[in-house]
Formats: sequence, structure tokens, C-alpha cells
Amino acid sequence: MATIITSYRNKRQQLLTKEVLVLSGLGALLLTATLLSVSTGAVNITVDQIFSILLHPLGGTEEGFTKQTEVVLWNIRLPRVVLSVFIGAALAIAGASLQGLFRNPLVEPGLIGVSNGAALCAIIVIVFSKHLPEQLSAAFGTYLLPFSAFLGSLFVTVLAYRISQRQGKTDIALLILAGVAINALTAALIGLVLYYDDDTALRTFTFWSLGDLGGASWQKIGFSLFIIAIPVALLTLYHAALDALALGEAEAGHLGIHVERVKYTIIILSALAVGASVAMAGTISFVGLVVPHMIRAVIGPGHRLLLPSSILLGAALLTLADLLARTMVAPSEIPIGVITALTGAPFFIFLLLQSKHKRML
Amino acid sequence: MRTLFLYTASCLFALAFFFGCASKSADAPQATEANKSERIITIGGTITEITCALGACDQIVATDRTSTYPPEMQSLPSLGYRNGIKAEGIIAQNPTLILAEAAYMSPDIYTQLESAGIPFHTFENKTNTASTFTMIQEIGKVLGKEEKAKVLNEELEIALQKTDSLLAQTTEEPKVLFVYARGHGTLSICGKETFAETIISLAGGTLAVPEVEGYKPLTPEALIKANPDFILFFNSGLESLGGIEGALEIQGVMQTNAGKNKNIIAMDGLLLSGFSSRLGKASYNLAQLIHPELTTASL
Repeated sequence: MATIITSYRNKRQQLLTKEVLVLSGLGALLLTATLLSVSTGAVNITVDQIFSILLHPLGGTEEGFTKQTEVVLWNIRLPRVVLSVFIGAALAIAGASLQGLFRNPLVEPGLIGVSNGAALCAIIVIVFSKHLPEQLSAAFGTYLLPFSAFLGSLFVTVLAYRISQRQGKTDIALLILAGVAINALTAALIGLVLYYDDDTALRTFTFWSLGDLGGASWQKIGFSLFIIAIPVALLTLYHAALDALALGEAEAGHLGIHVERVKYTIIILSALAVGASVAMAGTISFVGLVVPHMIRAVIGPGHRLLLPSSILLGAALLTLADLLARTMVAPSEIPIGVITALTGAPFFIFLLLQSKHKRML
Repeated sequence: MRTLFLYTASCLFALAFFFGCASKSADAPQATEANKSERIITIGGTITEITCALGACDQIVATDRTSTYPPEMQSLPSLGYRNGIKAEGIIAQNPTLILAEAAYMSPDIYTQLESAGIPFHTFENKTNTASTFTMIQEIGKVLGKEEKAKVLNEELEIALQKTDSLLAQTTEEPKVLFVYARGHGTLSICGKETFAETIISLAGGTLAVPEVEGYKPLTPEALIKANPDFILFFNSGLESLGGIEGALEIQGVMQTNAGKNKNIIAMDGLLLSGFSSRLGKASYNLAQLIHPELTTASL
């Protein structure tokens, strides 16, 4: 008996060590990515200058940097890096949670139409808020866009979930087909909304549909970062429920999980994170798909480690992707969605082939 | 699992390689010449043209993708196209003056540029004659070249009068349809309150689709109903259709006067739609194209 307990303790100790190792490794990666991204860009800013600029408001000297360098760092580059960290984290954990919930590794917020649902509602607000009475748009202007994007992504997630259910189980073929249909429908509705607007809206949307982190400013991102951070943090609490759900809904119920309540909470939190991200930066695909896979390949499928690791890796990868997007063709830049899709889409094909060999599809 | 790592690694290598190659070329245009007092960035083809016409051409250090005239502007670092233009890319060129068309980039970029403390001016291009005169005057003021701007505006006045006197020799008012084309799948027509309405009327024609407002997709039936005498394209648009032959293949074209008489015409996009200091030339050229009875005259 004693040996069993000791071996259990050893096992537990090993797991804890592994968790600490993985999380600190990914944390270091995120820190490096952030520093690299803050210090690299079209305007040259050295690491020394970054520290003097960051220390300046705290009473540091105003030496070694120009006003312009300070403005570029504070008003343009820093908010952009912060935004990419938050959105990378949100998309990755939403992907990981939805994959756990649907019990299928091929689920991605963009693939099942969640991002497009958010985009549709955001576009409606952008186009029609011009016609709202001024007091109304002044009062709710800031909140209207993320809120309606959230409603759009929530509606689509629930719809995809309902369509794909068959006798309490998620049918992946149904889910993917539902995603195709939802994407087609939202694309058509977006086209319809744009038809009634001018070509400026069309241009804005074209850039937006490939993702754009360029418009970040502190005023603009304050509220949205808040509504991204809360669902991201709350989702990490559902690791045990997601692990239990992996066994099947009936089995999870026997383990004492309120299956229905947990399912809808995860759907709402994921929709909130994705909706707010889309409202801030447009649709950025494949981050939610690729990141959880990379983690699972290294540390296995346990959600206790998968969820926080996805946050860290998602943030790091999107920050690096954004760094590439804005430096590769400087002084101009490539839409970030091009970078994530260029690496993500071949990865998706690789996953499909692997699933085919394992007869998972 | 090994495949996974190989895949990730090769992706990162490919990107890093691209990154390495690209960053070298990005550094190159930073070199400055000592004799240039101002480092000007112009955003929007019309602003670039006017700045050049005012004699500040050699002080422009970077422009956007629509600045195709004068041709040497295309060898400067390109900041991108419309919403793709970002504040940091602009600031990185160390400009001492930024001149931009209003509502050309995303709204956030204007705010970011203003906070950067570099003298920054926007000019509204309403694509009509009055706005061209105003832009020339305002840009001249910013550049400290008020006298030159005055001369330029007088020249424009004379050029526009030249078109008018050309048109005085005729009573024809052909119906012109402007088609914005990017291949056979993407065809739009320009109605009221677009650049096309103004430039067509300056050139002594009438808008073939007066009931349409803004940009709308082209349909064969609407085309036949409008029955234009001339169908006008940008050079690039006509090329995307495969030239005049390609344009005649658009459904409905052969049922119009323009199709029957092969009156398919094209002009440089920036010249036709820019409403810059070359507006006089643009209206004169278009007037000649849609009034073949006047071809003997020349500018």
C-alpha cells in the first residue's frame, strides 16, 4: 500500500516538474518574442533606448532618445505588440477549448464560421452606426463593436454546435459541412451589407478580412483587452471539465460535471474572446488550430497544461507573425492573415492527411 | 511528431530567409542627400503630382503605390496601398513633412501620425475642378510656394479654357459610360457623384447612367438600356479585359452604339481620375477621344 502511495507521489511530482518546465519555457519564449517585436520595426530603436523610454515616465532621464522615437514606441509599436499578445492568446485558447469541447482536433474558430459570424456583425455596426443618432453612438460607440462581434460569434458557435450534434455526440463531418455553410452564408451577407455602402467600406473590409493589428492605440484597445483577458483567464479554469468531457458526455456527467452548463459556459467564453479579437483586428485564421496541436504534440492532451500553454504559445507566435508582417516589406507591410494562413493552411492539410491515415475522419 | 517538427522548422527557416533578404533591401533607401532641405512624403497620386508640379519633386523621399506620375516616383520606397499604409513605415523614412490625401488611409493612421509630431497636412480631393484649384493653393502654401501655386492655377485655368474652346466647335454631347474593370469577372460602372460624372461633363459628354449613384456592378441589361456612344476604361482596366476585342465580348456591349462603332476608349487611370494639376490635359484628351469629329486640333 505504502509503495503505491509513494509511486503516486513520485508521479505527481514528475507531473508538477514537467508543468513548471513547460510553462517557464513557453513564458521565456513569449518574453523573447515580445522584446524582439518591441525592439524591431521600420523605425530603429535600440534596447537601451527602449529602457530609457520606458523609465522616462517613472522619473528616468530624457537622454539618448528623440521625442519621435518615444512616440513611435509608446503610441504605435507598444500597443500593437500588446494587442498581438492578447489576440494570439485569445485565439489559441479559444481553439484549444473548442477542440476539447467538440472532442475533435480539427476545430478552429475560423473553420466553423465563428470568426466570420463576428465579422458580419462588426461590419453591420461599422456600416450602419453612421446612421444612428449621434448621442446614441457617442454613448455606446466603443462598446457596440466588440459586443455585436461577440453576439455574432456566439450565435455561430451555438449554431455549429447544434447542427453537429448527433445522439449527444459531435459528428465531425456535419461540423465541417456546417462550417462551410455558415462561412458561405456570412460571406454573402457581408457582401450584401457592403453593396449598400461605398468603396471605402469595401477597401476597409478587404484589409480587415486578412487581419490588421496596425490601428492599435491605447484608447482603442483598453476596453477590448479587458473583455479579452477575462474570458481567457476564466477558460483556463475549465481544464478538469474538458478532460472529463474527452471521455464522453455521459461519462463526464458521472464524474460530477454539469455537462450542459459547462458546455455553454465554454461556448460563451470562447465566443467572447474570439468576438472581441475580431472586433479589434479582423479575422486572423489558423492560430487557434495550429497552436494547441503544437502543444499536444509535445506534452500530450491533458487540458490542465494545454490551456495555459496555448495562451503563452499563441501570444508568442502571433507576436512573431506580426513582427514578420510589418518588417518583411518595410516601410510597407503584409497583412498578418497572409502569414498565419501561409503557415497554417499547409499545417491543416498535414493534419488532414494524418487523420486520414489514422482513420479518424 | 517528427514530421511536425520538421514542418515547423522548415516554415520558420523559410520565413527567416525571406525576412533576412527583405530586411536588407528595406535598409537601402535610408541614405539621404545633403542638398535636400526637406524630406517630404506624399500619400495619394494626386498629392504627389501637385507637389511635383510645384517644383518639390526632388524632395519627395517616399510615396504610396498610386503615385505613378511622374514615372520616377515609382523608384522611391513604396509605403503600400491605402489601408495597407502604416504610421511606422512612414515615420521610418525620417520625413520632415507629410502631405496626404484626406480619408485615404485608415482613420487610426492619421491620429498616430499627428501624435508623432512631424508636420502633417491632409488635403481633400473631392474630384471636381474647384477642389483641384484649392489643393494646388493649399499645398503651395504648405511648401512656401504660393507664387508657383498661383502660376500653376493660372495655367490650369488656361488649359481648361482650351478644352472649352475646343468643345465650342461642336454641338455633340455623346453619352459616355465609364467601366472600372479588373478582369471579366469584376466590372463596375460609375454613376453620379463619382469622378466619372465630372470628367465626362468637362470633356463635353454626358453620363450614360444618370440614374445610378456611386459605383455599381455592370449588368448587360442596364448596359443595353444606357446605350452609351462611348465606353471608357482606365488603360489598366482595358488591358485586364484583353484590349478592345476583350471589351467587345462583354455581354451586351455589341447591342450598344459604342459596341457597334467599336468606340471603346481608355486613358491613364491617374490622369483621368486624379484631378491633379494635369486636369486640363485630362479633360482635353478625353474631349478629343469622345469627339472624333474634332481630331484635327491638338494641345
